[in-house]
Amino acid sequence: MKIGPFSLRGPAFPERIGWRDHGVGAALGLAYVGWLLATARSLGFPRDEGMYFHAAIDYVRWWRMLFERGRDAVQQGAIDSAWGFNHEHPALMKSLFGVSWWLLHEKWHVFADASTAFRLPGMLSAGVAIWITYLFGARAFGRRAGVVAAALLALMPRVFFHAHLACFDVPITAAWIACVYVHWRAQERRSLGWTLAAGIVFGLALETKHNAWVLPAALVPHALFVHRHALLRGLRAGRVALPASLVSMALLGPIVFLALWPYLWNDTLARVQWYVDFHLHHEYYNIEFLGRNYFGPPSPKGYLPTMVVATVPTVTLVLFAVGAADRIRNGARRVRAWLAEKLRRPKGAVFVRDASETDLLLALSFCASIGPFFLEKTPIFGGTKHWMPAYPVLAILAGRGFQLVVGAMRRALPALAGRRLLAAEAALLVCLLAAPLAVTIHSHPFGLSAYVPLVGGTAGGADLGLNRQFWGFTTQSAATEFLNDRAPRGSTVFIHDTTWDAWARMQEEGRVRSDLRAVAAPHEATFSLVQHELHMNEVDYDIWASTGTDAPVYIVEHDGVPIVSVYRKP
Amino acid sequence: MTRFKTACKLRAAVTDPQREQGNRARELQRGLQRWAFALVPALGVIELGAHAVQTRSAVRDGDWKAARDFVSSQSRPDDLVAFAPRWVDPVGREKFGSRLATVEREAPGDVTRFPRALEVSIRGAHVPALARWRRDDEHRFGGVTVTTLENPAPAHVLDDLVSMVDGQHLRVFRGDSECSYGHAPPQSGGLGFGPGVPADRFACPGGGFVAVSVVADLDYFPHRCIYAPPLGGAPLRLRFQGVRFGRTLHGHHGLYVEAERERRGAPVTLTFRTGDAVIGIAVHRDGDSWKSFEFDTADREGTVATELVAEIGAPNGDRRMYCFEADTR
Repeated sequence: MKIGPFSLRGPAFPERIGWRDHGVGAALGLAYVGWLLATARSLGFPRDEGMYFHAAIDYVRWWRMLFERGRDAVQQGAIDSAWGFNHEHPALMKSLFGVSWWLLHEKWHVFADASTAFRLPGMLSAGVAIWITYLFGARAFGRRAGVVAAALLALMPRVFFHAHLACFDVPITAAWIACVYVHWRAQERRSLGWTLAAGIVFGLALETKHNAWVLPAALVPHALFVHRHALLRGLRAGRVALPASLVSMALLGPIVFLALWPYLWNDTLARVQWYVDFHLHHEYYNIEFLGRNYFGPPSPKGYLPTMVVATVPTVTLVLFAVGAADRIRNGARRVRAWLAEKLRRPKGAVFVRDASETDLLLALSFCASIGPFFLEKTPIFGGTKHWMPAYPVLAILAGRGFQLVVGAMRRALPALAGRRLLAAEAALLVCLLAAPLAVTIHSHPFGLSAYVPLVGGTAGGADLGLNRQFWGFTTQSAATEFLNDRAPRGSTVFIHDTTWDAWARMQEEGRVRSDLRAVAAPHEATFSLVQHELHMNEVDYDIWASTGTDAPVYIVEHDGVPIVSVYRKP
Repeated sequence: MTRFKTACKLRAAVTDPQREQGNRARELQRGLQRWAFALVPALGVIELGAHAVQTRSAVRDGDWKAARDFVSSQSRPDDLVAFAPRWVDPVGREKFGSRLATVEREAPGDVTRFPRALEVSIRGAHVPALARWRRDDEHRFGGVTVTTLENPAPAHVLDDLVSMVDGQHLRVFRGDSECSYGHAPPQSGGLGFGPGVPADRFACPGGGFVAVSVVADLDYFPHRCIYAPPLGGAPLRLRFQGVRFGRTLHGHHGLYVEAERERRGAPVTLTFRTGDAVIGIAVHRDGDSWKSFEFDTADREGTVATELVAEIGAPNGDRRMYCFEADTR
C-alpha cells in the first residue's frame, strides 16, 4: 500500500503458509512431546504438582458426575465439594490433567504411571506453543525463521523443565502465544471465524492462568493502532467503531472463563473478587538472588534481565538481539518515512505496508509479558517461570535473526549454490542449535539448578548466588541415587520440602522404595534430606544440632554443585 | 610545462600509495562487514565448548580424598578447617567427615580464636573471614587447593561457655525454678521449626530448654551457641561455675533467622554478672543478626569466678529463639 510517495515495508510475507506448515509445526511439537514423555520418569514431583494432581482427581470426578447425574452435579454442594480445593487457580488445565489421568491411566491404561497421564496435557501445551511459534515465525518472517524459532523455544532449559509438569506455566505460555497469534490473524483476515476465535482463545487463556489478565495491554493498543484510520473516520462521523476482535475478547473471554470454571457459578462476584485479590496480594515466597534471600518487596529490578541472561542459551539471545535490532531498524525507517511525508520532504524510500502491524504486536506482547517483573511489588519467587509467555516472541525474533545471518552468509559466499549452499546452511544451523541442545539435555532433571555457560554453568550459578531449586522435587534423585539401594529395609526418611502427596506418588510409581517411611522431623528419621536452597541451610543446622552429625553420607550433585544432602543418624 | 609535469608525477607518487592504503582499508572493512555474520555461529561453537569444559570440571572424588588425607595429617585440634566457596561446604563435610569438619569448625562464633586455618577451596574461591590472615602454605590436589593461613592476632581462650553447658559446670534457673539437666529425645523439624534441640539439655518447669544448638543468622551462616530462649516474664539465669577470667569477656548473640528477619520481636537483653557486680549488658534487637559484644574484665584477670551469671530477658517471649556464645580470653 502506498502512502504518498512511499510504500511501507514491514516484515515480508515471503511464503504462503498452508496445511503443510501446520504439519511441520505439529511434527515439531509432537517430537518435543515425545522427548518430554521419554524423560518424564526421571523428574520428581514438585510441591505444587502434588496439589494439582489432587485437584485434577476431584475435578474429573465432577465432570463425570455431570455426564452421569447432571442435575446432582450442578447443585452448589456438589460443585463446592469438587471444586473447592485449589480454587486459587482456574480449572482448565486441572480438568485436562484429570481427564487425561482418568482416560489414559485409569480406563485405557495407556500410561503405567498416573503422573505421566496427569502431565500429558501440560506437555501437549508445550507442543502447541512450539507449533504456534513455528506458524507465527514462518508466517511473519519465513519458514526458516519459523523452524529455528520453534527449535530455540524448545531448547531453553527452563522451558524444558517446566514443560514436564502438570502445572500452568507452560500452558499459559502456549495460551498466550495462541491468543496473540489468533488476534494477529483476526486483524489480517477480519473474518467472523477469526474474530470469534480471538474471543474464545482469550477466554481459554484467562481460564489457564492469571498472566492472561495482562494480555489486553498488548492486544488492545495493537488493535487500535491497526484500525486507527477506521477509528478516526468513525469518530469524525460521531460513532465508535471498535475492532471486532476486541469486542469478541471482551464478550466471549469472560463467558468462556466463567463457563469452564464451575466454582464460579455460585457466589460469582464474591468468588471472582477473591480470586483476583488472591493474586493481587499474593504471599511473597522467598527466592535467592545474587546471594541474598528476598522475602518480599521491593523486588530487585535486575532480577528478570539477570535470570534471562543466566538461563536462556546465549546464542539464542544473540539471535534475538539480531532479529530485534532488525525490526527496530525497520520501525525507525517507517517513522522516518512517516515524518518525511508529514514534512513533505520525501526521500524516495520504498516500503511495503504490513497491515497487521506484526512488529508492533510482537513488541507489545514481549513487553506486556515481562513488564510486571520490573515493578517493585511483583513477587519474583517463581524464578523464570512467570515470564515464560515472553519466550515464544523471543524465539520468533531469534528466528528472524537466524534468517538475517543466513542472508549475510549467502552474500559473503556468493559462489555457493545447490548442495554446497544447503550444506553450509545446515552447518550454520548445527552451530547455532548445538549449544542450546547440549545445555538443555544436560540440565535434566535439574532444570532449576542449571545455568548457561555464559555464567559458568551450574557451578557458575552457585558462585553467583542464584537460586538452586524450589518445590522439593529432587527427592526422587536422592532415592534413585542413594536411598533405593542403600537404605536398610523400613528406614524412616525426613523428606524436607517434598510433600506427603508427592512422596506417596513416587512410592506408588516405584520411583522410591515402598518400604521407606516418610517422617516430618530429622530426629525421627534414619535418613534426613536437605534440598539445597539458601534459606534451607537452617534445616541443615537443625540436623547438626539434633542428631550430632554435620557430615552428609551422600550428596546428589549436578556438575559438582550440591542439590540434595542425605544425612544418616549416627 | 616541465615543472607542471614534474609536479604531477611527484603528486602521483605521493597520492597513489595513500589511495592504495585507503582502498585496502576500505576493502578490509568491507571484508570484515561481509564476514561479521560468522561471529554468531562462532559464538554458538564457543558456547558449546564452554559447556563441554564446565560440565567436565567438577572436582573428582580422588582430589577430595587427597585433600582430606593432607588436612587430616596436618590439622591440629585448634585449627579452623573451612571450605570455599560457601556452596561447596556440604560436599566438604561429606568428603572430610564430621571428625575433621566438626560442628565447632563449621559453625564458629567467629574465627578470632583459631591460630591457624586450613582453607579447602575449589574454583579459586576464598573464605572472606580469612582475607587478612597470612598465607603460609598452599597445596594443590587436582581441583582442590588447601591453603594454610596464620591468624595475625589469635585470641587465647581461657574458658568457652558453650563447652560448659552440662550438669557439672552450669545450673539454669527460670525465675526461681531450677531447670533440670538430662537426656531426652532430641527435637527438630522442618523449615520454620527453629534451632534443633539436642538430647542433652536443661529442661525448665513450665516449658523451655537451654542447650547447645546451631542457629542460622540473617545471612544463613551457622553459629554454635547456647540456645536460651527467654519466655518473657521471669528472666532465664545461666550460672556457670568456675569460669577463669582473662582481659575480656567476648561473645556473640543472635536469634534464629525466621524469628528475627521480620524485625517485629522484642529486644533481648543479656546481662553478665558475678556476685553483685555487673560485668556488661548486651542488647540484641531484631535486625542485628549475629552481633558481637566484648566486656572489659582486666580487673578480674587471673581470677576464677565462683559463679558467672548470664541473665537473659525479654519483655515478651514471642518467637524469641535466642542464642549466644561467649568466652573469656
